[in-house]
Amino acid sequence: MTPDGQPSSFAAALAIARRDLLEFVRDRRTLVITLLLPMVMYPLLALATALGLRTATHEIEARSAPATVHLGLSGPDAPGLAALVGRTLERTPESDRAGWPAGVACLEVEESAAGRALDEGAIDLWIDAPRGLLADLVSTGSVRLAARVSAKRPASQPLRQQFQAFMRSFARDVARARVARAGLPATLLEPVDVAFTGDEGAGPPPAHDVLAPLAGGVLVLLTVLTLTGAFYPAIDAIAGEKERGTIETLLIAPCRLSDVVLGKFLGVFAITLATLAANVVSIAATAAVTVRSLPAGLSAALPAGPLAVAAAAAVVAFTGMAAVAAATCLAVTTASKSGKEAQNTLTPVILLVSAVAGAVLLPGTRGGPLLAAVPFAGQIAVTKAALGSAAAPPAPAATVLVMLGVSLASAGLVTWLLLQLTAHALADEDVLFRGQDVAGAALHRPAPRSRPNPVQAFLPILAGFAGIWYSQGLAPADLRLAIPLQQAVAVLGPLALLLWWQRVDLRTTFSLRWPGRGAGSAALILGAALLGASLFVIGAAVLLQVRSAGLTDEARRLSARLIELITREPWWLGWSLVAVVPAVCEELLFRGWMLAGLLGRSHLPARVWAAVVVQAAAFALFHLLPERMPQTFVVGLVLGWLVVRTHSLLPAVICHLAHNSTPLAILALAGDVPGLGAAVEQGDTSTLAPLPGWAVAGAVVALAAGVGLVAAATRRGPGRARP
Amino acid sequence: MPEDPAIEVAGLVKHYHAGDGSVVRAVNGVSFAVHAGEMVGLLGANGAGKTTTLRMLATLLRPTAGTARVAGCDVGHDPVGVRRRLGYVSATTGVPDRLSPREILTSFGLLHGIPSAELPHRVAGLIDELDLAACADRPAGRLSSGQRQRVSLGRALVHDPPALVLDEPTNALDVVGARDLLVLLSRLRAEGHAILLSTHRLHEIETRCDRFVVIHGGAVVASGTRDALVAEWLPGRTGELEDAFFAAIDPPAAVRGAAR
Repeated sequence: MTPDGQPSSFAAALAIARRDLLEFVRDRRTLVITLLLPMVMYPLLALATALGLRTATHEIEARSAPATVHLGLSGPDAPGLAALVGRTLERTPESDRAGWPAGVACLEVEESAAGRALDEGAIDLWIDAPRGLLADLVSTGSVRLAARVSAKRPASQPLRQQFQAFMRSFARDVARARVARAGLPATLLEPVDVAFTGDEGAGPPPAHDVLAPLAGGVLVLLTVLTLTGAFYPAIDAIAGEKERGTIETLLIAPCRLSDVVLGKFLGVFAITLATLAANVVSIAATAAVTVRSLPAGLSAALPAGPLAVAAAAAVVAFTGMAAVAAATCLAVTTASKSGKEAQNTLTPVILLVSAVAGAVLLPGTRGGPLLAAVPFAGQIAVTKAALGSAAAPPAPAATVLVMLGVSLASAGLVTWLLLQLTAHALADEDVLFRGQDVAGAALHRPAPRSRPNPVQAFLPILAGFAGIWYSQGLAPADLRLAIPLQQAVAVLGPLALLLWWQRVDLRTTFSLRWPGRGAGSAALILGAALLGASLFVIGAAVLLQVRSAGLTDEARRLSARLIELITREPWWLGWSLVAVVPAVCEELLFRGWMLAGLLGRSHLPARVWAAVVVQAAAFALFHLLPERMPQTFVVGLVLGWLVVRTHSLLPAVICHLAHNSTPLAILALAGDVPGLGAAVEQGDTSTLAPLPGWAVAGAVVALAAGVGLVAAATRRGPGRARP
Repeated sequence: MPEDPAIEVAGLVKHYHAGDGSVVRAVNGVSFAVHAGEMVGLLGANGAGKTTTLRMLATLLRPTAGTARVAGCDVGHDPVGVRRRLGYVSATTGVPDRLSPREILTSFGLLHGIPSAELPHRVAGLIDELDLAACADRPAGRLSSGQRQRVSLGRALVHDPPALVLDEPTNALDVVGARDLLVLLSRLRAEGHAILLSTHRLHEIETRCDRFVVIHGGAVVASGTRDALVAEWLPGRTGELEDAFFAAIDPPAAVRGAAR
């Protein structure tokens, strides 16, 4: 309490938190959903998992249990073969019957009736024993037995394997009989006998194989449910107060806005923590019960030490996550005017967070301090590191502590930033009193203006990635259709939608200007073409030198299909698909919309360079194949530089066109190379000679000439001043 | 009249930027004052700028220009000081449904830093004064709108502010509820509070307010006692406050109405 009867900041925040908690606790329905649901859910999940596992195990056991094989024998030598089989069955000791069926019952059948017997299931297998078979078995010849199965009722895989195991014993018996008859020692057949001494090794604890994926799933569930704990109180805290008309009463309370936000946060955080605690208690209880019903071997192998460390680390790390969850839900819902609007805004965030948390479970995700810092993923990474897995042993305590520290520091920082954002949104008069749905207002069609803003610069890229995703799924195998489809769905579609929605000036956005005049423009176009062609040759030379062996299957297959397209189709079609369409579409998207949006009106060199680099990176990512990314990045940089330098999209289109046309020209000059596509597809690059030195040297000279021409033309050019 | 007014508004301006880039001049140079022990009615049609003016006084909106002071504290420089000296209730101000009036008043008492030893007495006193004793411990969601509005008023009075600002406080109330509230306000005025309230229902406050300020299009077009307004805007005629109000905000229409 300050001297003039003014509550301290924290006291005011506590008063607000106390009031919110009191209100929340009286909302029984929400309370039940938040706190009691997890208490019921984990036992149910465990029960369902256990039942599912048991059923699956039974099925596997039932399928692989040894059964009696009913063997049908036909032909004149059938009785003799049956006798031999019987001898093997009698004489083989129990220890040598590994993998055997429970028994082999021989039935003599007529050859004509064998098929029906198979179909009816009277016999599982049918072997024909023609005359002379026995004689061959006794002599040193080799016999071929065909064990036929029914087409209607195929014998199961375990049954076949068991019968094969039996027949190996049978063959060994036959061999022994021959060796004995020849007067040779029986040891001839077993020159080496291996015996293990010492204790049987325990091997890797099987518990890890089951526990690690299970623990990962539970941790993601815990993350999502903890976030759900923040969901309702956060919606209630600010959006709900707006809906009920009570937010004003807090905003005119004699304390700072930051105290109001802190109070709101403390209330939501307390409920989130309670949800987390309810979940943890339920998980612990469920686990304790489940462990008892585990098979003895599995429960004995539970790593008690790492489990305790992991549990402790999890509780601490998830507490940090709960703070981030509370702050995230508050920040996201502050701008909403009603509970419903807040739900609409918050739901996608919950889904996104679930995806982030789930991403940690992906195989190959390396847990490290960096991952520990990622909100909503870090706490899972810390716990997984402490728990270890089948592939990796539990991390040492020091590593776990470092990751925990990083995770908590990151959570603190993110929470603080989100609360600042909340206070900012709460103080905004426009958000508080006016306007419709503020979140929805971002989707309104704005007034005409010259160019997109930097955020909108990224929109077609995001839409484009989604477009690539869908067009890859829909794409016909025929590249003649696939290329236009992909360009339309991933590039032109998003661009057209954005153009309709955002009334930007086309000339400014797409730099639709003629570059320079007279000789200047001719020099520019020539320079741009030289740049494009030389970049392709140099890129190809580097690729052949460095990566010829390491190309992925996708890259090889695509290259092969492109080569087929270029060599088989008329030149104009191949050229349009491979060079013209991509050059125009991709330049409009990346060097037009995106670069213009990123540049804005700025002339600052740092901003210009950042814009060029960012669009080049997006351009590289857009080409999906990792092998092509370095080259597309460099090409993207050059194309961006061309637009910045000339204030026109045309040189970039020419450069892109020249770049993509070069392989067509090379293939045309090289003449028909038979089987080139197939060779590329199989990764057999031995037939591909490395590019001759003179070609690479020529490309380097052309590159220098291109840069020189463009630089010279723009130095004199009239387009120096930016529009 | 005392020297230092409890509420003093001078040249107050508030401009908004509308979504299409144009500027909306909601309040365009409003000046008036309310002294201790005085009840002033702020009159105006919808969109005249009443609510914006009152929200600036309550520190919910920042003025674009001009000053507004409550008991000597400027809304721009010392908003927390203003909030300690002002009680504010609007038509849209709600109360938390799941808390009882006693809990609501107590929580705001805590926010205002009333020592916890005094707080129960203060809250009990308010409950008696506002005639809420019968429902003091029931959830506010189950109270009538009149009772809820009295809880709102109690919330605005918990720190015993010298000035009260009420934005259409009787809007959601029936005739009885409105009368009870206005009786209560008259008593508070007698106790020395300065009260500024806006309303559409002129007949309700015609005899209760000491003075009126009429704003139209974001500016003050008339002010004074009821008799002075009638004398100024309906010269040579007798009439009600409502007629004078119409004349003040739209003189030709009022003349047409009188000619009929």
